[in-house]
Amino acid sequence: MASVIDAHLHLLDRQIVDRDGRLIGKVDDLELELAPGADYPVVTALLCGPMALGPRLGGRLGVWLVSAARRLRPRGDTDPVRIGFGAVTEVGPSIKLSITVEQAPTLRLEQWCLEKVISRLPGGTREAG
Amino acid sequence: MKKMLQVTLGILTAIGGFVDIGDLVANALTGARFGMSLAWVVLVGVFGIILFAEMSGRVGAITGRPVFDLVRERLGVRAGLANLFASFFINFLTVIAEIGGVALALELATSVNYLLWVPIVAVLLWVTIWKIKFESMERLYGLMGLCLLVFAVALWKLGPDWGSLWGDASNPTVPRGEGHPTWIYYAIALFGAAMTPYEVFFFSSGAVEERWTKKDLMLNRANVYIGFPLGAFLSLAIMACSASVLRPRGISVDTLSQVALPVSVALGKLGLAVVLIGFFAATFGAAIETLMSSGYTVAQYFGWQWGKYVAPKQAARFHVVMLVTLLLATMVTLTTIDPVKVTEYSIVLSAAALPLTYLPILVVANDREFMGDKKNSRVTNFFASIYLVIIMVVAVITIPLMLATKAGA
Repeated sequence: MASVIDAHLHLLDRQIVDRDGRLIGKVDDLELELAPGADYPVVTALLCGPMALGPRLGGRLGVWLVSAARRLRPRGDTDPVRIGFGAVTEVGPSIKLSITVEQAPTLRLEQWCLEKVISRLPGGTREAG
Repeated sequence: MKKMLQVTLGILTAIGGFVDIGDLVANALTGARFGMSLAWVVLVGVFGIILFAEMSGRVGAITGRPVFDLVRERLGVRAGLANLFASFFINFLTVIAEIGGVALALELATSVNYLLWVPIVAVLLWVTIWKIKFESMERLYGLMGLCLLVFAVALWKLGPDWGSLWGDASNPTVPRGEGHPTWIYYAIALFGAAMTPYEVFFFSSGAVEERWTKKDLMLNRANVYIGFPLGAFLSLAIMACSASVLRPRGISVDTLSQVALPVSVALGKLGLAVVLIGFFAATFGAAIETLMSSGYTVAQYFGWQWGKYVAPKQAARFHVVMLVTLLLATMVTLTTIDPVKVTEYSIVLSAAALPLTYLPILVVANDREFMGDKKNSRVTNFFASIYLVIIMVVAVITIPLMLATKAGA
């Protein structure tokens, strides 16, 4: 791990990998917090999924991405998926976490694809690759 | 011993896997029209793909991160997305071209119109991607693709004037009656066919799929340094066959059957049968690679779980992208669009888009934080910088040249 971590260079747009090596998503944005009295903000969480990516993309495409993602959400909320920075165990070519993919709810589109398409195909629910 | 077998298989796979519909069409077409005067481009192209495929395989083995994963990280979220759109579109054209190629090969074998084969090919493709393991899949079609070596046998049997072939190739001049712009346009087409970006998307993702580590760098080098040059040898054999059979008779290549013609002239029906198996394997194998590349690029941009090393239910989005791409490509192929024309455009546009893929690879292969002592050597960087200039120039001149020459008409 680099001794100084540059949030833009070492964190943003990197692949997030769970405890078991499964791919969770990208660091689409970061949550910063400026504690009262502190001189500089602190990274408190990795944000991922379309709700974080959309605003960063900006423009019409960003708006479209957010509104498309909202349809997959039960209450139509727009909070991005948040992974507390405490779960990060390694910052390298990918960002490794101490939790599993199931504990990071980034999988709404994955769930939708699984339910509507993949699990309906013969062999779609098998255990092996 | 097991290691040796793995290396041998890898090399053989690389030979068969190097040639796809783009190489078949581009080499036969230029051979028929320009003789061997563009043979040097095949060498320039293969050296380029060797350089960058080796880098992408090495990056994949050391960091576990394939090319498109790094594209976003290095280019940023917006430029990365623009790159994704461009790469996906060109790859999509290639999927159409390969599906058409498989169907045309089946038409040649059965005399049943290729359009009737297209849906069957689509189903076969899906079943293969869905059911067969990554390594078996790659090997099966790579090894079957070796049937294309029959072009070399045919060339030997034809007994061409080797001296004049060599003279054409070693002393390239624009043939009489052809303009410089057209000649250069086809040079770019050949270059694009040799360096098609999906090859590195697939190769680097394959390194991760097969869980390569530092220990597999040998395998990476063997595949690339031995397999690809032999693939280029195959390309040159196709070109030389065309140059010695089609060119003297003034036959131009507009269909896949004309690509095979020199082999049937030299070796008769049996030769043709072998060539058709080769066509089928090369295009079917490439159809799989391009389809998977469509899934790889999208999933790797967004950070989704991808790959065949996990169960489909763990990579649902990846499989859906491939399924949708396959359905759309099948529909486009069924519009009776000419697959050979689509192939020509796909390789030329690939050439124009090369910097999008190769620049990020070069940057990451030089990143000490990522690569440690396995970063690019000075020699590699020397050649890579030369190629960077070449692909930049190609990217700039391709589209104007395409308009000026009416796409090489």
